[in-house]
Amino acid sequence: MNIAPRYLGRGSWLARRDPRVLILVVALFIFTVLQVWDIRLVLGLLLIAIGYYRSAGIPWRHIRRNWAIVFVFIGLLVVVNTIVAGGDVQSLPVEQTHVLFYLPLLGTPISAESLTLAVTMLMRYLAMATIGFPVAFAVAPSDFGVAFHRLGVPEKFAFGIDLTFRFLPSLANDLQTTVDAQRIRGFNWSAGTTGFLSRLRHSVPVVVPTVVNAIAGAEDTIDAMDLRGFGTSRRTWLRDLAYDRTDLLVIGAFAALLVAATIGGFSGVSSHLWTPPFLIELAGR
Amino acid sequence: MSTLTMQRNNLWEVTSRTIVYAAIGAALYGILLVAQLPIPGSTVSVRPAFALVPFFGYAFGPIVGFFVGLVGNGIGDQISGWGALTSWNWSIANGLVGLIAGLAPLYLARWVNGDLRQRAIGGAIAGAIGVVIGFMFVFTDVILQGVTVGATLTLYIQVVIGDLIGTIILVPILVYAWEPVKAQLGR
Repeated sequence: MNIAPRYLGRGSWLARRDPRVLILVVALFIFTVLQVWDIRLVLGLLLIAIGYYRSAGIPWRHIRRNWAIVFVFIGLLVVVNTIVAGGDVQSLPVEQTHVLFYLPLLGTPISAESLTLAVTMLMRYLAMATIGFPVAFAVAPSDFGVAFHRLGVPEKFAFGIDLTFRFLPSLANDLQTTVDAQRIRGFNWSAGTTGFLSRLRHSVPVVVPTVVNAIAGAEDTIDAMDLRGFGTSRRTWLRDLAYDRTDLLVIGAFAALLVAATIGGFSGVSSHLWTPPFLIELAGR
Repeated sequence: MSTLTMQRNNLWEVTSRTIVYAAIGAALYGILLVAQLPIPGSTVSVRPAFALVPFFGYAFGPIVGFFVGLVGNGIGDQISGWGALTSWNWSIANGLVGLIAGLAPLYLARWVNGDLRQRAIGGAIAGAIGVVIGFMFVFTDVILQGVTVGATLTLYIQVVIGDLIGTIILVPILVYAWEPVKAQLGR
């Protein structure tokens, strides 16, 4: 069972950046996108995200399924939001919108504005997911701890993040061993069962032994850390991180984008929905 | 040391034990998140793995619980490719569940200090309280993502129902399974 994060972007331009750059860019970009509602500007941000994503060199064939899940998740979220909103768009009541049609059965009005809002939301989510993918596949798993520590996370917790990634392969193996051991005893982990409750109960013979064994086996790790004086003095890291000029340029560019979005948001330039005129004309016919 | 014998003043202690339990819990949560059972017609699943968040909080303290929820959810998103930071507010919500469950000695002292049956029931109660309160943090999507309150409420209800089912069933089982092992290890 391969559960460990896959370092698919190894060797790419983005993977050669300081890992802190990828983490900071996600934070800067997400807060940029959150302030922009003009679909034209959101499209621009999406294109920036796509360019950034392509620089990670992540092979498409390895992540097709991941993207499929992302599209389905985002699509469902947007559809649910559109239906539940009942035609209202931000602060605009449905009476002031330009209705295109009504959804059958539900009767929810779909207006030029609500359609624009749905597409804008879809693009916003896509942009954020696109920026997030390189963090998943273009950062070496062993770099997360030191990267978060250098970003200000207390060293014990940063080491905890490191330890979490180190435990992934071994615990995944333990899970597989437990599944195999239970199979020998007649338990079928992959057998179809009906109903959520029965499927939940079906997971108990695997989940419980795996968890208890993992916790019991932690004693050796705890003793090893104590014997090495964990937490008694300031810790150093094997990997030394240092920004180069390119790293600083990338961070600066995304920071500038955030500042621009913030100014645009406060001035009202980018924080309002822009409905394409052709949709409004379509509603008028 | 576990929260089941913790005093109020050492609930926030960070030792090597805290870090190791937190890392194990987060890794297990991330790994088991692949075994989600989807609820038809929704973006949410019944997640057996989620029971680990309130369990680790209840058993090992609020810091462990918060770490397991926060980092574990991020790890799960990382493995799936969504990216650890994309849904950072959902990761915080998961962390809050573990944190609130870990504070059980403060508001469920009678159950936490009772016999094994009472401690198991206390785990379910602490987990349920954690789920209901902790996931309220997802309403930040109304401000951050512009999602309507109604849509967020729909999502919240789906998440809470799914995770409540898993928590109420699995946390007492985990407590029952862990307590004898803990006694054997002398913890």
